[in-house]
Amino acid sequence: MTELSADTDMKQPSQPWTTQVAVSLLGRTSARIGLSWIGLLVIIATFSPFLASSHPLYLVVDGQASSPLLQHMTALDWVWLTGLPMILVIALLPLPLWKKFLSAMVGLGLTAMIAYTVVSPPALVIYEQYRELESTGKVETIILAPIPYSAKDYLRDYADTGIESPLLTSEQRTHWMGTDENGADVASRMIHASRIALGIGFIATGIALVIGTIIGGLMGYFSGIVDIIGMRLVEIFEAIPTLFLLLSFVAFFGRSIYMMMVIIGITAWSGYARYVRAEFLKLRQQDFVQAAVACGLPLRSILFRHMLPNGLAPLLVATSFGVASAILAEATLSFLGLGLIDDPSWGQLLNQAVQSSTFNWWLAVFPGGAIFLTVFSYNLLGESLRDAVDPHTNRSKRA
Amino acid sequence: MLNYLIRRTLLMIPTLLGITLVVFIVMAAAPGGITAQSLVDGMELEPESRRALEDYYNKLYGLDQPAPVQYLRWLNNISPIGFEREPDGTLGTFSLWKGADLGTSFRYGRPVMDLLAERLPITLLLNLISIPLIYAIAISIGVQAARQRGGRFDVASNIFLLGLWSVPSMLAGVLFIGFFASEQYWRWFPTGGLMQRETVDQTFLPLFANGSDLLIAVACVVTVTVLLIGAATSAPKIARQCGGFTIGALLGYTMAWDLGGHWLGGLHVLLAASLGLLTSLLAGMQHPGFRIALAGAIGLGGGLTLSRYLGVEVMQGGYLLDRLWHLVLPIIALSYGGLAFLAKLTRSSLLENLAADYARTARAKGVDEETVLWRHVFRNSFLPLITVSATLLPSLLAGSVIVESIFSIDGMGKLAVEAVQTRDRELVLSVTLISGLLTLFGYLLADIAYAIVDPRVSYD
Repeated sequence: MTELSADTDMKQPSQPWTTQVAVSLLGRTSARIGLSWIGLLVIIATFSPFLASSHPLYLVVDGQASSPLLQHMTALDWVWLTGLPMILVIALLPLPLWKKFLSAMVGLGLTAMIAYTVVSPPALVIYEQYRELESTGKVETIILAPIPYSAKDYLRDYADTGIESPLLTSEQRTHWMGTDENGADVASRMIHASRIALGIGFIATGIALVIGTIIGGLMGYFSGIVDIIGMRLVEIFEAIPTLFLLLSFVAFFGRSIYMMMVIIGITAWSGYARYVRAEFLKLRQQDFVQAAVACGLPLRSILFRHMLPNGLAPLLVATSFGVASAILAEATLSFLGLGLIDDPSWGQLLNQAVQSSTFNWWLAVFPGGAIFLTVFSYNLLGESLRDAVDPHTNRSKRA
Repeated sequence: MLNYLIRRTLLMIPTLLGITLVVFIVMAAAPGGITAQSLVDGMELEPESRRALEDYYNKLYGLDQPAPVQYLRWLNNISPIGFEREPDGTLGTFSLWKGADLGTSFRYGRPVMDLLAERLPITLLLNLISIPLIYAIAISIGVQAARQRGGRFDVASNIFLLGLWSVPSMLAGVLFIGFFASEQYWRWFPTGGLMQRETVDQTFLPLFANGSDLLIAVACVVTVTVLLIGAATSAPKIARQCGGFTIGALLGYTMAWDLGGHWLGGLHVLLAASLGLLTSLLAGMQHPGFRIALAGAIGLGGGLTLSRYLGVEVMQGGYLLDRLWHLVLPIIALSYGGLAFLAKLTRSSLLENLAADYARTARAKGVDEETVLWRHVFRNSFLPLITVSATLLPSLLAGSVIVESIFSIDGMGKLAVEAVQTRDRELVLSVTLISGLLTLFGYLLADIAYAIVDPRVSYD
């Protein structure tokens, strides 16, 4: 018996590398802090219409019950609401990583298509009507969201709106984080802006990652003249200060959120290309790659099925830091007045803190704190990921 | 070496061309693009004069020609070798020394060269002050952290530096302006700009009412500083912490009093306690260098305040003090991010070398730890710091865009924002060209410094 148990101990099946990294990552306090803030942000972003909205959740007027909130949900809201559980389910399925990724992408695409064709919220939104109904006493039952103000509800029915500091308001309204210069509730705007921050972070970094991996992979695999030309390209994009390039892109191409994602992605790929190139230069002479070449596999199979998984570690770390800098880039652009015009954004709120002659601390502390916490979380995550994938730290820990 | 320099300088040219080409394509491909109509738009003009103005712009900038021709035309204008340009817009004879012309700004109506000559020195001043500051502080923190690997200072500084690195510089700038420069809170620093207008006519150094005042001020500053530094270096830890707490608490109380004017309140207790704890923590640090720097700073401020209370009158602040006073906040906002990054790099690079074989050999032959650290390990750990210095300059240039906009300093960063906001093509291209040139020059300098410091590297 004892022999057998000793034997099984020794032959304990070695876990796949991804599981090892995940376990090592979750064991670190800093990674846990970072992950929990990002998780909280994802939840807030998904349920933002239920957390902050001027539309009541449930409303009974003249004996007729309705839910204005559900009627006013946009297609994007539905995509978020169905996308999150879908991605969670897919993540738990026993599939290889790339299949998970692919099915998540396909699922999201399908949901978006369905949502944008089926859902059509009323184009004209009147936020004031519910408050009017309430003040005239027609309302029998009303259930409001925890923060009963939408992000774009500028409270036009109150005459005296403008910048107000937190909790210092008339008896009718409470703004936990004050209002901005248009009179909109800051807490509500911040909740709705968390979507932009998360979306920019993931999609812009995704675009940069794809471009960087393809260019860097080709450079590293072919080397020679492709490498020389590619390196000049990388050098060009590194020598233009990214902010200048971003500024000119945004100023000349308009200000939609998707455009911004693409632009930040386009300006950020050079670092990933460098990493992938260095990894592939190391890998291309190794036996398994030579074997794949000798088998006559197509180029994309060699590059992405055989070489890329082996050069993933430094890329993962760079991605985590990249998400942080993408969020920072969006906040900077919004701060400089080149961001979205009407849609809420943390950087744009921060910009209002000193625009008027007085200093409004709540417009600096809350949005700025949110940007800081998010960037800090991704940096913490990147740092712990670097330690988790680095064989040196694990060895020294064991010793 | 000379060969190498020439080759590198020549290699800069295609990169610079690529940079300007990318920016030019962005502007040309933008919806609407840049045309004479878009420049004239928004002006209230008679139809005839509008057409005349459009013709003038077309002739001046070649805006009615296809985009590739416009780009070649711009290239011909900026290169010192090329065709001369006649006043009517046509090409003249080929010349080898016609001189570079960066064009005229759409918005300012002035030569871009003049604008840059005005703005560039200001941005360079900010960056050239920041870089040595960043290196000095980052190295001292990094060395200290590496020396006590896994110790309290190491862990605390690691988290603190990562946090510092994540603070967006616009948040820092806004908070600085809001709390330390606005009327509502402490008005210690100016809100913006680089100088007060009246100091132009003043003397360079501060001017005192009479000689005895100057003597009193100097005496105050010197005594307080010397006393504090002495205490910081030689007093036992408990005494230092108690002293630090007292000083911090006093400062906190004064700040709260400044704000509210009351004698005692919740804010007073809060500020006094938190500042007191902070200073006592700093005073309790093991590294004497930090304590001396801290004591010196406090001593300087305390001495000046004391001399103020003793009745010293300052007739004029003087140009130098005014300039420094305006620079404090922008410099801090510009440099803390790079500082955090560099300090972390110093630490990891030092740790790597401290575990290396040659460091063990040095210890084994009986070299003491200080010498191992500074003469053997530090010199080798400096190499990655030099490599990073090349990327420091571009990030500082980008940082100065934000800092200059917040503190309304008329430097190149602010010019860049204004240029892209007004679609000022000549200005955007020139600013990109100059900043690209500076960045490439930084890379080159870093490579040369690398060759000088590391004898193994040679470019021949």
